[in-house]
Amino acid sequence: MSPETIRTIFDVASLTSILVLLVLGMAVIVGMMQVFNLCQGELVLLGAVVAYVAHEWLGSVLLGILVAPFAVAAFGAVLERTVIRRFYANAAGALLATFAVGFLIRAIVLARMSSQGEPVPAPIDGTVGIGGADVSAWRLVIIVVVVLAVAATYLSLTRTAIGLRVRATLDDVELAAASGISTRRMFTGTYAFGAALAGLAGAMIVPLQALYPSLGFDNLVPMFLSVMVGGLGTLHGPLLGAVALGVPTALLPTWIDSVLSQVLVIFAAIVFMRLRPGGLVNRDI
Amino acid sequence: MASNMTRREALQRFAVGGAGLALGGTLLTACGSSDGSSSGGRGGGSDEPIRVGAITDLTGAYGIVGKANKAIAEFTVDEINANGGVLGRPIELIVVDGASDPATWGKVARQLVTRDKVEMVIGDVSSAEREAVKSIIAGRGRTLYICPASYEGGECYENTWTVGAVPNQQVNPTVDYLLEQGARSFYLCGNDYSYPRNVLKAARARIEEGGGEVVGEDYIPVSATDAPELVRKTISSNADAVFEVIVLPASVPYIKGVVDGGYEGLIAGTLFDETINPLFGRQAQGLIGAQDYFATIDDPFTKQEVAAFRKKYPKAPFGSALNSPAWYRGLYLWKVAVENAGSTDLDAVNEAMNSASYDRLIGGPSRFVPGTKHVELTMYLGEMQADGSVKVLKDLGPQEPEGQCNAS
Repeated sequence: MSPETIRTIFDVASLTSILVLLVLGMAVIVGMMQVFNLCQGELVLLGAVVAYVAHEWLGSVLLGILVAPFAVAAFGAVLERTVIRRFYANAAGALLATFAVGFLIRAIVLARMSSQGEPVPAPIDGTVGIGGADVSAWRLVIIVVVVLAVAATYLSLTRTAIGLRVRATLDDVELAAASGISTRRMFTGTYAFGAALAGLAGAMIVPLQALYPSLGFDNLVPMFLSVMVGGLGTLHGPLLGAVALGVPTALLPTWIDSVLSQVLVIFAAIVFMRLRPGGLVNRDI
Repeated sequence: MASNMTRREALQRFAVGGAGLALGGTLLTACGSSDGSSSGGRGGGSDEPIRVGAITDLTGAYGIVGKANKAIAEFTVDEINANGGVLGRPIELIVVDGASDPATWGKVARQLVTRDKVEMVIGDVSSAEREAVKSIIAGRGRTLYICPASYEGGECYENTWTVGAVPNQQVNPTVDYLLEQGARSFYLCGNDYSYPRNVLKAARARIEEGGGEVVGEDYIPVSATDAPELVRKTISSNADAVFEVIVLPASVPYIKGVVDGGYEGLIAGTLFDETINPLFGRQAQGLIGAQDYFATIDDPFTKQEVAAFRKKYPKAPFGSALNSPAWYRGLYLWKVAVENAGSTDLDAVNEAMNSASYDRLIGGPSRFVPGTKHVELTMYLGEMQADGSVKVLKDLGPQEPEGQCNAS
């Protein structure tokens, strides 16, 4: 393979893995819990903020990446207890409330900033040679972490006792409660888990760009599109949706205009949703 | 007229996205207004304040630009007032927030013109915002409108005056330098909207005039946050130089990707300065660009003014990419025009603006080129350094705006 081909394959893997990472937390919150969480992007932003703060105060982005999932999970738990919980039966209310929360977080981050962005260095800088092509070492790390994070999330939901209780609660909350499961705690915990994954995503991707208030918000459209294409109700549906969107988005510009390829991908997604409203994986129907 | 955007789009996604809160917060820096009646057009002799409106984005997507604009506007007005004001009258500055939303711009611009009855309005961030307010301010409002943003060029509306750079002022000296360095083949790329397209059109013209060849030209969507395909195309182009106009945030992975990927040519653009370079990390080393101001230019007056600004606003952002020198320039050129006209009468000031000129400005002397409604600017060619600072390669001297408003 020529270095050019290797670079292209790597770019497709990199862009797709980043989208999968961003969608992972959303797959839990929007896909499984079916909460239309418009502040998902700001949960990602908060993860990036943790990485930035760890870099500024402690001189270690890596430490920030390790702490970010826990810090954002804690924030997610508080948010679920105070706001999200009130809107499980009110989808429109959830949209508005989470949009407001997201707006507030962006405004606070903006108010604290005095430049157009804050640089956050990658813990591993530089490039790695693969078959004559130099590829970004940090992007390679992201690809590996995404594979591990998806596997860990899937296994913890399908192979552990707590995962079973989470799925039981999301399936039929009354039956789960009658079976002695603390469903309130399950909802809080599941939202916090989705928030933790968003926090991990933010901390991992901020070194590729920089910290800025709409870091997460900018990705909200492809994230929601992935969930819609993938279908609600499962974890793997939205992740497959992210792959279905990510691969053509990364690959098409090799041959055709980037702007046109973006239009084509979104158009194809809309046509697909019209033909198959339940998405790629639909367990309700 | 088409709704265009300035390079300010560069910052759109680098701040709060979505609709903003219209704070409409007014801020009075001079002494309070006595009776609220307009002192418009009555000419000198009175010591009643002259009301000036500053419109920018204090919240929303361009919030950082707004912070910078408000600080330099207050600084400049305070300085003018401390030195006797304009025609002996103090300026009363009224700052309003357009919240990065053209509809809000329309609302607050109407307030400035009808409620506050200002004599002049200064401020634009994106071209969409300028388009939303120019008829309200300068058309129906019959109020002088000064636009400080660097943009794609072509704004010739009545009572409207531009004090920011247009593409040729940044592009021509930069391309000439690349040609001097021996570059013959060029790759061009940017985001798909009017500012990058107009800049790259100017770059292509200058390259071909100078005997160079454009080997590729590609665009990515405005919403892009990453640009791996442009990195691949840049590297495989093997061009001697690349001229890029990619806005934040995609510019960060682009620059890092091209440098790390082993591209060996020169990299030039219009969006590099001290406020943006740190985002590129060490990969900023060697980027080439021209601006109307760098922190490192050797101009005693500029150094003194920027030091005074820093002392008063230690935390406020300041830089060419935030239009800070252009706001200072716009307020002083207007002061010169009003004093030459001897009154704030719109027709008299318009006539005086056409040939207004001033030397003691941040970045260096500037003047309106008669008939163009745009300014000649003192420009500097800089090489960006790994630590984000700028090494000034050349004081380019005065650069005229080309092709604006049917200048003869």
